Amino acid sequence: MLARPGRSEASTDPRSAPPPSFGLRWLWQYLQDSPRPYILDCGPIRSATLRILLGRSGRLYSGDLISSHKRPELWDRTRKTPVFRTELLLAGLPPVPAASLSVVFCWHLLDLLPREALPDVLLHIHKLMESGGVLFCLLREPRLEKGADSAWELDGLTGLARAHDGVAAFPYPALSNREIDRLLPTGSVKTFLTRSGWREVLVLK
Amino acid sequence: MADVTPRPPAPTGGQASSTLGRSMSVKGELTAKEDLVIEGQFEGTIDVAEHTVTVGAQGQVKSEIRARQVVVHGSVNGKISAREKIDIRRTGNVTGDLQAAGVAIEDGAYFKGSIEILREGQARAEAAPARPVVSQRAV
Repeated sequence: MLARPGRSEASTDPRSAPPPSFGLRWLWQYLQDSPRPYILDCGPIRSATLRILLGRSGRLYSGDLISSHKRPELWDRTRKTPVFRTELLLAGLPPVPAASLSVVFCWHLLDLLPREALPDVLLHIHKLMESGGVLFCLLREPRLEKGADSAWELDGLTGLARAHDGVAAFPYPALSNREIDRLLPTGSVKTFLTRSGWREVLVLK
Repeated sequence: MADVTPRPPAPTGGQASSTLGRSMSVKGELTAKEDLVIEGQFEGTIDVAEHTVTVGAQGQVKSEIRARQVVVHGSVNGKISAREKIDIRRTGNVTGDLQAAGVAIEDGAYFKGSIEILREGQARAEAAPARPVVSQRAV
């Protein structure tokens, strides 16, 4: 059964309609004048998400950085202090023309990466986004200690579901909005809180 | 006990088909007027515009594929264009750009690239050769 991020923990009735994601609702409303936006999905392939995004996008790019972030070769252990090889992680993205993307779904990727990798990852994604483009992230609240291996998918254009409820501990401290704001060259951050312990964070270029 | 090993689906209903066997490794340009199943290795270009290409679980293709339908259980590295549908199954591993009227990718499959859905007019234009435009005037 899919877990709905906005659903209260007491509610277990699978027939109850999922509460809409306010972040997604805002996103599609923001893009209402863009009939065929170019979209990048940085998560693992989910057939439900694919179906929905293909119906909405002019071109959909896919490169799974979430599944690949744990590959051992991403760490250079030849040095005294292991160094995360961000360029190797980003090689997992397909070739995307600069400033072409209207939306990037990076799900909870930023919660899985070491702090030192975030500036380059965000800068790279930022370069691929067109002016006015939106980066859609899910960031955990500090109280949420487990769920690093969660898998997210769209349940309709404005529904967000966890296809897999993760149990693995998060490897790094929770990110604050201020940190995200500081890492971006330009843009603004919009946050929607949910009751599940995840924030829906939309970064506008 | 029943054999439940996943197998590629049989090519479409009763039509002739050719198979590139598991032990075969071919480089070049492949055109056909029948369905094609690839279980071996192929490098080059595949053009079976009116038929289905199925890449079996052991199949490894480094090629541009143009077909009516493409089903991938194995590995493909290259651009795939299909007038109707591209279907990447759970064991599929595809790196490249996809262009088709419909695309389905099962959970668990690996895909890196871009997908462009051909809308009604585009799909027809892709299939048909270019024709001169004749202007008509109302009488």
